[in-house]
Order: sequence, then structure tokens, then C-alpha cells
Amino acid sequence: MSTTTTAHAPATALQRVVNVMRLHFANPWTTIILPWMILGVIFAANVALWWLILTNLDSSADRSDVADGLQYSGASMFIFFYMTVVAVQAISVTFPFALGYGVTRRDYYLGSALTFVVLAAMYSAGMTVLSVIEEATGGWGLGGRMFTAVYFGDGGWPERLFVFFTAFLFFLFVGAAIATIWVRWKAMGLTAFFVILGLIVIVAFAVLTFTSGWAVVGDFFAGAGWLGSFAWSLVVTAAAGITGFFILRRATPRT
Amino acid sequence: MTAIVEVSGLTKRFGSLAAVNDISFSIEENRICGLLGRNGAGKTTLMQLLTGQDFATHGDLRVFGMSPVENASVLHNISFIKESQRYPDDFRARHVMKSAPWFFRNWDSDLAERLVDDFRLPLDRKIKKLSRGQLSSIGVIVGLASRAPLTFFDEPYLGLDAVARQIFYDRLLEDYSEHPRTIVLSTHLIDEVANLLEHVLVIDDGRIIIDEEAETLRGSATTVVGTRAAVDSFVGSRTVLHRDGIGGLASVTVTGLSAQERVDAAASGLELAPVSLQQLIIHTTNTTDREFA
Repeated sequence: MSTTTTAHAPATALQRVVNVMRLHFANPWTTIILPWMILGVIFAANVALWWLILTNLDSSADRSDVADGLQYSGASMFIFFYMTVVAVQAISVTFPFALGYGVTRRDYYLGSALTFVVLAAMYSAGMTVLSVIEEATGGWGLGGRMFTAVYFGDGGWPERLFVFFTAFLFFLFVGAAIATIWVRWKAMGLTAFFVILGLIVIVAFAVLTFTSGWAVVGDFFAGAGWLGSFAWSLVVTAAAGITGFFILRRATPRT
Repeated sequence: MTAIVEVSGLTKRFGSLAAVNDISFSIEENRICGLLGRNGAGKTTLMQLLTGQDFATHGDLRVFGMSPVENASVLHNISFIKESQRYPDDFRARHVMKSAPWFFRNWDSDLAERLVDDFRLPLDRKIKKLSRGQLSSIGVIVGLASRAPLTFFDEPYLGLDAVARQIFYDRLLEDYSEHPRTIVLSTHLIDEVANLLEHVLVIDDGRIIIDEEAETLRGSATTVVGTRAAVDSFVGSRTVLHRDGIGGLASVTVTGLSAQERVDAAASGLELAPVSLQQLIIHTTNTTDREFA
């Protein structure tokens, strides 16, 4: 009963890309469970805080002051920055592993990009639902604000969904690009990248200051509007995504 | 016989170091081929080139008739878990067993389960908390159960005890005879695998110094033992791989003795002893070291 192991035609391109995404979600702990848990803890702490404040305020004037302040809540900011960590971790640990499974760099990167889009969609949907509940319950019955902070727009949930989604994409793909630098050039590459980035920022600031260019920058964002600015972030996101692809194409898994 | 791997003039440089230096060879289909050599000889680099994980500096390289680099139809048929393979930090062994079938079409989950039992691999412990041997057994299990037409084992048993290594050899032979495929086994435990190998490639300092059928190689060297004078006169101008001596006695390893020469040696009171693959390779790699020095 000797059966020779025959060479197979590869799975279709789409299947291969989807398989990489399944690999990213094989253990959902880092990408899904942990971020939501941390967000849950932050939310619980905020609820406790809102309750303390509410029970210690007497006049309605004070309450409106507090409500005014809470709209600037940065409590949910963590989750956006954390997405950069998620992307860096996901790529740096699964890249050498996936190549051991005979995955091409191309399929790996496309599968990872698909994973990040799915993650962004999932997180922004979840945050939007929470923001709708927050609105409907008058801030969880305590006048609290976490998912409807002013940064997320003031045009109701469709606007917030857009802001959440573009912001998540931005932080995920910037993280992905940083991770490809790490995978390809290790610590030296990352150091060089941040030094160069730092220099560019300093030079840009200097140029803007000396040429009074800040007004132009201000006009740009004012013209684009709050939502428009988030839309413009998609350009940066796409640039990061494409750069990451080309960096990874020549990366080798090293130990 | 068809060559599944064909390499000609392949070179890989890291700066000024040529980890793989202008080598040419081929590997036939459905054989077990040993890729032997010392640490740092270039074994892992060569396998990384063959599996498209690294890029050649120059030279030609064909696997299943095509370049493996970014070639899904080639890589799809290859299984290569390195000795230094990294796994995602938060993975447990069961995540590896769950995800491997998505990438290997021939994956046999019954075989994988059996191997997990054989190696007593704890499926629910985090991979970073596993012992070195348990980590190696994951690679062995994936390599065997994936049943890829071209399978690379790179030092597969670092940290595995003698029992586990024997299990690996037994299962490898068992499964290979039922499902013939091409297996490249890189190791420095040469004597342990000598009987498994059908073909032997020895790499030293980035060059292939032996590319031979294992059978031919086994009879290719002999150690001649006797009094110094008798040994010296018998050896004459033959290629000497190794020389040892105590007092008036000498023990010299020489290459290729014909049947007649063996009779002659016995007649002049010399003893002939076979040379194991490991000794042969140790002697050969030492010799070339001196030649290059």
C-alpha cells in the first residue's frame, strides 16, 4: 500500500491569502481577546470614576461642567495605539513561522493586510456599538463619555464609525510597516528609521516655522475638515501598507 | 530517476563571507539524503536557499524544475522547519497542530496525533515554556505529518533524548516506506543516521566536498593497523585520510582498497577495519581544512 506523495498544484491565490489570515487568528489572544479585556478594565475604572463624581456633585451647574470636561475623555485612546503593537507583534512573530510553512512573502503580506482590515472593521464596529449605547443611556446612566468623545466627530454613529475605522487602519498599517523594517533589518534598521524620522520631523518643523508655513498646514486641515482629515490619513495608511510590502519582499527569516 | 533539486554554481555571500561557495549538485526524487557538515559549514544557509527563505548571491537553483523564490507552486510542496524555528510567542503546540493542515495538503492528522503521544508533547503548554527537546519534537512532528514531497529536517533533534531520537528514526523510516518522498536530513550526529541515508552530501566551509551514494561511501575507506614499517610500506603513496600511532604500531586510514589489495594486506600481517561514515567525514573535513590552510 505504498502511495507516493505527489506534488500538488498550489491552492488558489485567495485561499492561500485567507490561510495566512487564519494563521493570525489561530490564537486570538493577542489580537482580539487581550485588547478588549484591557478596554473593559479601562471602561470599568471610568464607570467607577463617573459614579464617584456624580455622587459628590450637588448642583446641576457642576454636572454640566463635568459633562463638558468628559467629552475630552482620552480613555479609549489606548486601543488605537495598541493596534500598532498588535501589528508589530503579529508580523514579527508569524513571519518566520509562516515561511516555514512554505508561504510566499507576497501571500504572507496580503494575508496580514487582510487580517488588519478585518481587525479594523471588527474594532470599529464594536466601538461604534458601544458609542450608540453610550448615547442612548445618557452616558451609561452616569453622564460619562468614553466612546463619544469629541475626537470621534459630532455627526452621529456613521461619522464615528468612519473615524474609528480610518484611525484603526492607520495605526495597524503604520505598525505593519515598522514591523517589516524590524523583520528585514532588525534593531539597526529600526534605529536608523527612527533617527531619520526624527530628523525629518525636526526639519519639517523648522521649515514650517521659518517660512510661516504653519498657516498653510492649518488651512489644509481646516479646509479638509475633521472628517476630511481622517479621510486624508488613508493616504498615509496606504503609503505605509505599500512600503511594508516592498520591504518584506526581500526579508529573510533570521534568528 | 528525476532530480528534484538541481543546483549549479550557487553562491551566497554575507559581506565577505561566502557561506555557500560556488556549489553544484542535484538530489534525486524519493531518496533520503544526508546533508552533513560541521556547525557553520553552510548547511542551514543552503537549505534556506533551497526553500526560498534566502536569496542567492549568484548561481542557478531549481527545485521541482523552478526557482523556489516566492514561487507558491514550489514552496507548497516543501516542508522545512529549522532547528532554530521560531513560533508565535503566545502559541501552544495545539495551535501549531491546528494550523499546519491549512498549509500542507498531505497533512496526516492521525500520524500527527500518534507522534504527539510518542514524544509526549504537552499540547496545552505555551511554546516558550517547552523544553528544548519538546520544541524540537514539534518540528519533527510537523516535518513528518506534513508528508511534503520535499521535506527538510535541519538538526531536527536538538535536545531530544536517545529514546526520542530512536522514535524519530523509526517513524521516519516507517512513514517513508509507505509514502516515499524526498527527505533531506541535516545533522552532525552522523553515526546515528548513517543507516537511514541513501545519499550523502558533505558540506565544509561553504563547499560540497562529498557527493556520493551512501553505499559507495561506506566501503570507500579502510583503516590499516599493524607495525609501523609494515603499514608504511603497504600504504605507499596512497591518499592518507588519517594517521595514528603508538610506539611501533601505526593505524592509517586510506581510501579505496580493491579486493586484491585486501588479500595482500592480510598476507603481510596487517589488520583491516571498516571506517564509519562519521570517522570518514571527520577525516575528510580535517584533511580539507589543512589543504585550504
